[in-house]
Amino acid sequence: VCTSRFWFNYRHVANTLSVYRSVKRLGIPDSHIVLMLADDMACNPRNPKPATVFSHKNMELNVYGDDVEVDYRSYEVTVENFLRVLTGRIPPSTPRSKRLLSDDRSNILIYMTGHGGNGFLKFQDSEEITNVELADAFEQMWQKRRYNELLFIIDTCQGASMYERFYSPNIMALASSQVGEDSLSHQPDLAIGVHLMDRYTFYVLEFLEEIHPASQTNMNDLFQVCPKSLCVSTPGHRTDLFQRDPQNVLITDFFGSVRKVEITTETLSLDRDAAGFESKFPEEELATEPLKYAEQLPVAQIIHQKPKQKDWHPPGGFILGLWALIIMVFFKTYGIKHMKHVF
Amino acid sequence: MAAPLVLVVLAAVTVRAALYRSSLAAFIAERVEAASPLNAWKRVVEGLALLDLGVSPYSGAVFHETPLIIYLFHFLIEYAELVFMITDVLTAVALYLAIQDFNKVVFKKQKLLIELDKYAPDVAELIQTPMEMHYIPLKVAVWYLLNPYTVMSCVAKSTCAINNSVIAFFILATIKGSAFLSAVFLALATYQSLYPLTLFAPALLYLLQRQFIPIKLKSKSFWLYTMQYASLYLCSLVVIICLSFFLLNSWDFIPSVYGFILSVPDLTPNIGLFWYFFAEMFEHFSLFFVCVFQINVFFYTIPLAIKLKDHPVFFMFVQLAIISVFKSYPTVGDVALYMAFLPVWSHLYRFLRNIFILSCVLIFCSFLFPVLWHLWIYAGSANSNFYYAITLTFNIGQILLISDYFYAFLRREYYLTHGLHLTRQDGTEAMLVLK
Repeated sequence: VCTSRFWFNYRHVANTLSVYRSVKRLGIPDSHIVLMLADDMACNPRNPKPATVFSHKNMELNVYGDDVEVDYRSYEVTVENFLRVLTGRIPPSTPRSKRLLSDDRSNILIYMTGHGGNGFLKFQDSEEITNVELADAFEQMWQKRRYNELLFIIDTCQGASMYERFYSPNIMALASSQVGEDSLSHQPDLAIGVHLMDRYTFYVLEFLEEIHPASQTNMNDLFQVCPKSLCVSTPGHRTDLFQRDPQNVLITDFFGSVRKVEITTETLSLDRDAAGFESKFPEEELATEPLKYAEQLPVAQIIHQKPKQKDWHPPGGFILGLWALIIMVFFKTYGIKHMKHVF
Repeated sequence: MAAPLVLVVLAAVTVRAALYRSSLAAFIAERVEAASPLNAWKRVVEGLALLDLGVSPYSGAVFHETPLIIYLFHFLIEYAELVFMITDVLTAVALYLAIQDFNKVVFKKQKLLIELDKYAPDVAELIQTPMEMHYIPLKVAVWYLLNPYTVMSCVAKSTCAINNSVIAFFILATIKGSAFLSAVFLALATYQSLYPLTLFAPALLYLLQRQFIPIKLKSKSFWLYTMQYASLYLCSLVVIICLSFFLLNSWDFIPSVYGFILSVPDLTPNIGLFWYFFAEMFEHFSLFFVCVFQINVFFYTIPLAIKLKDHPVFFMFVQLAIISVFKSYPTVGDVALYMAFLPVWSHLYRFLRNIFILSCVLIFCSFLFPVLWHLWIYAGSANSNFYYAITLTFNIGQILLISDYFYAFLRREYYLTHGLHLTRQDGTEAMLVLK
């Protein structure tokens, strides 16, 4: 996810596209990637090299190739959409490419970059996502069994604050800087005019370029990427929620699509009537009479109409009492002797 | 005097009938100034429809009328327009007869005081003559019937007209001197909307005056009469409430009617002062302020009773005006009732100081009400503050009108006993100031 707009945040788009490229190279298909870019740098009118996004000066690596599939572009990258993708609470009309169709055996990699601060990440220059919201979203994912293990990488200023609040199991987190530190950008390119990448992601990209689908490099090596001498900020990581030892976690568990395949030489027979095939539609509980033609018209109902609702009438006692009072008042004022004129 | 009255009545009925048949009827019926949640016609119809469906009309916060109104309209709902026209006519006739009698009383008292030499010698021009008092009842009837406020209230078919008519009958009964009838009508008026309770004091004072019982706290006959009147009033109130129980066999109507009037839960804008305050207020304080506002209505009775104990009808007028300004859901029908009394004090005209400005304020505010309502609700370019400003100005105008009349009345009384040309101790001309 790249959360920043505007030309001068070129490096955030380059960061995201680099990670996207590595992940695709290591075997994860587009159907399993949700790419959110807040702005279009390749076709930005200020780009002197249109249709390219470079990650290294001297234009060595164009990370915007022919097969970049952006799922959430421009103003669609909002906090709400991001959280909806994570938790799966998406309107039914959303296309599959925009959904995170994960289940409880999925390992998810989340990479976020942009501008951030202590406890928040800025989206689109107008809203923020806080570390609490993110932690709650991950908890929702855990409760809905939407991940098996989750790797969260963030490259922003004070990035470590974003993973402080996680409380769901099986999450490992990496950040480019600690609370109170700024993540710095790598090199400016004088031809393009902006900084091309951030340091942390640059060194991660260098590290990932050496990974291939069969490599056995583990997470501990990833934690060593970009020491303070190269990165100026201190990268941090958090593994306390993770159940396996990071030593045993392969990079390709998250970054690549490596499946464990067992080849067997035995034959398995699949039985036709195995295990009792249950009917999906239970028997009707109600015993309905077979309808004959003449009875299908509700003639009986038409003939014997329901009686019209009776209007409300005030109770007799009330009317009696009221008129008795009125007559009493009348005679009190005008005297009883007038009564004899009435009768 | 009957012929001009009949003419006026005919004219009023024609105006109302014409408005009923025109397209304005629907428009006026939904104006918040004419119809409040307490007395809107739509709610009466809704309540009766609920009753036909077998549901108590008091379930849910739609219907806030008393069971006697249910009974009345159950049989008369097809003739609703006729009912309201007849009600207005009855109110006007009752006021006419009441003011006729009142004038006789005033004149008699005046004569008595002249003969007793209670008046200063140079106040000949202040004394009311029968000639000028001759047309006052007719003027009162005209002011009530042809007042645009009354017409609006009648066309909106707001049950405020029924309340007005009951109060008018109460005034008639009081001025005629029948304590029993006046207690019954006052109980009916209180039963329908709670605030005529404050009219108990002026009625009591008037009846005491009529029976020539001096109003001294130590006098036994004073307390005896007060007890009699109070017990008549309370007994009739209790009887009416118990009778209403038997209409629907439930006490539901008490929280729906009296609880609603006192606790003001519905904050639809109207021409009163409650809605804006309570819309802006925190929940925490609303109980306190509801109590303060409600006490404010009842609060002026005792001081006014002390000051105006010799002039109970004026006291009644001021009290009616205070009710219609400070009650929780006022409508223009309430304003129309006390405005009908203004011709009775037309002899105070020379002492009124702000009458031009106040009448301008009232007229302008009446025109601005629908304008700002439209701007707020339909055009969206104003907000509730605008409408409330007009409400506030209207109420300030009314209050200033009352206080102006109050001042003029007291000033005239002072001049009557002390002479027109007041001098201070050193001989220069003095000016009366109401402190």
